[in-house]
Amino acid sequence: MAVAIRIERLSVDFSGKAVLRDASLEIPKGGPTFLLGRSGSGKTTLLRAINRLNECFPACRTSGRVVVNTADGAMEAYAPDTAVEVLRRRVGMVFQTPNVLPLSIARNICMPLEATQGMRGAEAEARMEEALREAQLWSEVRDRLRDPAVALSGGQQQRLCLARALALRPDILLLDEPTASLDFKAAQMVEELLGELRSRYTLIVVSHGLSQARRLAEYLFVLHDGGRVEELGKDVFRDKDALLTVLGDLL
Amino acid sequence: MRPKEPCDRRGADRLPSALLCGAACVSAALVFSIFAFLAAFSWPVLSGGQLGSLLSWHWRPLAGEFGILPMVVGSLCLAGSAMAVAYPLALGVCCFVHGCGPAWAARPLFVSIRFMTSVPTVVYGLVSVFLLVPVIRGAFSGSGFSWLAAALVLAVLVLPTVVLIIDTQFQAVRAEVRVAAAAVGLAPSQEMRHLVLPLSRRGLAIAAVLGFGRALGDTLIPLMLAGNAPRVPGSLLDSLRTLTAHIALVVATDSHSAAYNSLFACGLILFLATLCVNLGVLSVRGRRLG
Ligand SMILES: Nc1ncnc2c1ncn2[C@@H]1O[C@H](COP(=O)(O)OP(=O)(O)O)[C@@H](O)[C@H]1O
Ligand SMILES: [Mg+2]
Repeated sequence: MAVAIRIERLSVDFSGKAVLRDASLEIPKGGPTFLLGRSGSGKTTLLRAINRLNECFPACRTSGRVVVNTADGAMEAYAPDTAVEVLRRRVGMVFQTPNVLPLSIARNICMPLEATQGMRGAEAEARMEEALREAQLWSEVRDRLRDPAVALSGGQQQRLCLARALALRPDILLLDEPTASLDFKAAQMVEELLGELRSRYTLIVVSHGLSQARRLAEYLFVLHDGGRVEELGKDVFRDKDALLTVLGDLL
Repeated sequence: MRPKEPCDRRGADRLPSALLCGAACVSAALVFSIFAFLAAFSWPVLSGGQLGSLLSWHWRPLAGEFGILPMVVGSLCLAGSAMAVAYPLALGVCCFVHGCGPAWAARPLFVSIRFMTSVPTVVYGLVSVFLLVPVIRGAFSGSGFSWLAAALVLAVLVLPTVVLIIDTQFQAVRAEVRVAAAAVGLAPSQEMRHLVLPLSRRGLAIAAVLGFGRALGDTLIPLMLAGNAPRVPGSLLDSLRTLTAHIALVVATDSHSAAYNSLFACGLILFLATLCVNLGVLSVRGRRLG
């Protein structure tokens, strides 16, 4: 089993308040790897620690080691000479609430390509179409690419955010409760999408839905309060009763 | 008790809103009466044969010539040049503070610029008379009281205004885009160039317009530093006189009484310029709704 991300003794504080304490885990390539835990247990913080996005918030302190294995070799996320922008391009993230940029649908995808890689024109448009198709949004937006992205529905915005991440050709995708803010139908669509993406990307999915995790997960970690991480075997989490016994106190 | 509450609250709300409404009415009435006053007093000048004398290039009150055009040009030159220095500087400061510079320097820089707003204008003027003017006098010839001296100090004066407006705009835009931009791997400078600046166009325009208005309206700096010669400056080292300084000077010195009439025309011009500035801001603000 190849390891995609190795996390060693990771601790994260917000304003001196410990959110994660010495968390260690190895996330295999492929997946999807699901991350379960009570609300407030630090799931989002753990995801953001992988692409160093916690640094965007004030008074956050991180210690420990995160090694990300990308197509270009291993990256020590917190090493002083690591280019954080490169790391974030290798490790894409989709947020719990879709955060499209206040630009057109097309610019949401093309602007990052242009800004970070100087890609524009036909090449960028081809990449955009490819990403939108991969996120199964192309047919819905192909005629309105110049419209503002905020005019899309919640589910469409979520898939646009996914397409934006995919267009940068990441190795790893972090998905923070990707279906939590969606209605049933849109959620189902995103779930199907996860099933397709798993063959091409390492997926790490935070979820609060037990049944969703049971259906889709290949690997599963439980984040307990206080930052302890527990891995559950497939035999446990595929079995509804066994899973409930383990997680009963959590949910 | 329960049903009474909304009633009470409405009563409590009514007083402040009445006060605010009253204040708004008084302000509007004041502005209008200032305009009416200026218009009424400058009307004889504007309608009579004196208009030609006003719109001339010579201010020689003793010879009966009251041309204010040099002052109009002086005001525009000074405000324009001050903004030409202050605006790029302010933009640079805001970019620096919003991620393009090191975080440890951002806070102190911003705090010191905000402190600059609380320094009385006269202090800038006084310090410059003793520090900047001799430097200019030494480096070039002449008295040192010049367009250049006034423009530099006026730039310092309007800098915080422009910085605060741009900063407010940047904060609003960045609150929206910051995390998303970081997540797709944009460096702070790329975020600034590709997202924050283009999305801040309105705020940038408003900062330019308000900054220009502030520079145009300032009296003390040109009065103390620009030399106040009532003619069109030929170079940055020449002396110039602004409309504001002109009014202050003529009112303060015991002048030929006919000169007073021309002041109302100056006041009217300044008033209308301010009005244009505000209409400019309104049109920039309104464009977003369209
Ligand atoms: N930006 C932040 N600033 C301060 N505290 C935060 C921030 N993000 C998360 N936290 C704190 O960290 C804890 C875990 O949050 P989070 O990782 O969002 O939990 P989860 O995603 O599991 O619901 C919470 O107690 C929250 O208050
Ligand atoms: Mg969360």
